[in-house]
Amino acid sequence: MRKFIDENYKLFIDGKWVDGGGKKFETHCPANGELLATCAEADKGDVDRAVSAAWRAFETWKDVSPQERQRILLKIADLMEANAEKLAMVETFDNGKPIRETRAIDVPLSIDHFRYFAGVVRAEEGQATMIDKDTMSLILREPIGVVGQIIPWNFPLTMAAWKLAPALAAGDCVVIKPSSATPLSILELAKLLAEVLPPGVVNVVTGRGSTTGNYILEHPDFRKLAFTGSTEVGYSIAEAAAKKIIPSTLELGGKSANIFFPDCPWEKAIEGLQIGILFNQGQVCCAGSRVFVHEAIYDKFLKEAIAAFERVKVGMPWEESTQMGSQINEAQVEKILSYVEVGKKEGAKVATGGYRLTEHGLDKGCFIAPTIFTDVDNKMRIAQEEIFGPVVCFIKFKDEAEVIKMANDSEYGLGGAVWTKDINRAIRVARAVETGRMWVNTYNSLPAHAPFGGYKKSGIGRETHKMMLEHYTQKKNIFISLSEGKVGLY
Amino acid sequence: MVVTKDTQVEEVVKIKGVISYFIQRGVSPISCSGAFPQSLGNLLSIKKVADPDAFIEGLNEYIASQSQELKDRTDD
Repeated sequence: MRKFIDENYKLFIDGKWVDGGGKKFETHCPANGELLATCAEADKGDVDRAVSAAWRAFETWKDVSPQERQRILLKIADLMEANAEKLAMVETFDNGKPIRETRAIDVPLSIDHFRYFAGVVRAEEGQATMIDKDTMSLILREPIGVVGQIIPWNFPLTMAAWKLAPALAAGDCVVIKPSSATPLSILELAKLLAEVLPPGVVNVVTGRGSTTGNYILEHPDFRKLAFTGSTEVGYSIAEAAAKKIIPSTLELGGKSANIFFPDCPWEKAIEGLQIGILFNQGQVCCAGSRVFVHEAIYDKFLKEAIAAFERVKVGMPWEESTQMGSQINEAQVEKILSYVEVGKKEGAKVATGGYRLTEHGLDKGCFIAPTIFTDVDNKMRIAQEEIFGPVVCFIKFKDEAEVIKMANDSEYGLGGAVWTKDINRAIRVARAVETGRMWVNTYNSLPAHAPFGGYKKSGIGRETHKMMLEHYTQKKNIFISLSEGKVGLY
Repeated sequence: MVVTKDTQVEEVVKIKGVISYFIQRGVSPISCSGAFPQSLGNLLSIKKVADPDAFIEGLNEYIASQSQELKDRTDD
């Protein structure tokens, strides 16, 4: 572990590694409790310095040509690729997610994000319109300035890439705060960024949400806030942005519907159910946590799902055979198990799982057995509230109209899927479910080049697509009179 | 520790066993953002808890009972 992770990490401000003014904090491996590193906490002065450095950097970064920004973004991607194994191991140790996921998904997707935005930045163009024969209107996109970004613990590196790549492509400068539970991969990324970015373009401030996070929200000099996290905290971000009259993009919670029709591609569908709720230990904002199964296949589907869940290898995340790793911490385990009790009290039945795993050396970690609830009514709390663990609710349905109604009976609208070989039905259901992303015959696929974001209380804005550049730029209109004569009013 | 509306949620969730009290009452104090980064009063307001005073009173009773239970176990 020590060959991948330093014992101490500082703040990255103005291109330098500096001590923080706040208390130090520790980050531990959730799979065995081992101390990984001690990190600096940014106090108010540190956030001030980071924002000032970003504004100084913006004076030149805003005018860096698209060609040069593309070259830098590609260089970042290349450096990440050269350090891919290290980034994967750091993420796995700090977060508890299986190494097979960080190697195959988190790190490659993050790299590709920089490459994607390196590509789109060269295709961006303004507009010119002749309002009439003597009047021209030019529309140019300009960078918005200094952006504050707050990253969650469930996909630290990937979420950072989702936010950094478009911001840098747009010509903005950034102050980014990783979660205090998982700061390490972003700090390691900062080492790579330091090799190619001018000082101050990206600044990393670590610390708790109640201190460093709130200093970011309160700081008067941000021109935009970007956040991924819970809907509850999303309110605070939106409120802080509103008080400053600046935009915010929010990617928030979910309780997504994973819908299975009788003509679903069977083997793929069973795996899709697992990918929907077991990927990243279910700690995914768009997890397919409500599983709607047509009554014609319900019993057979459930039986095979239980068998599939019980075959999943839960284990130490750095072992290559591990399919499901550790939850992020003790608090999250307590939350998940509390929801299991809530479900039982509501009358749902645990078909498999529902308990903590401690045998075979897992006793020092935060491991939960893959869990299926049956006899669930969509009105139950376990079907409405985000559990954020490997816990899925099975709900039977009769027809399309009924399942669409139940799928939409949620305050959230982030993800979802429909499984069927009937293309007409797939499109009908996908259109009818009120959510920002509907997968058809797949789940939790999140590459760059397809927009991702929420309806309803799941957020505002679309990441992972060139349309995110809209959120990181502002439009300048240059309005030109080509007439040589006066208007004639005075 | 006596919890009030002004207590930071981050401090409250450090108390072992307290998260189940929140979840049983429909309030999640933690998420992928970590502990809710503001006061308990703000969280209860966002979650539209009808009687926040009763919630906090019950929470203090719960913490006291947990402390007593822990003490009893230690004494045994």
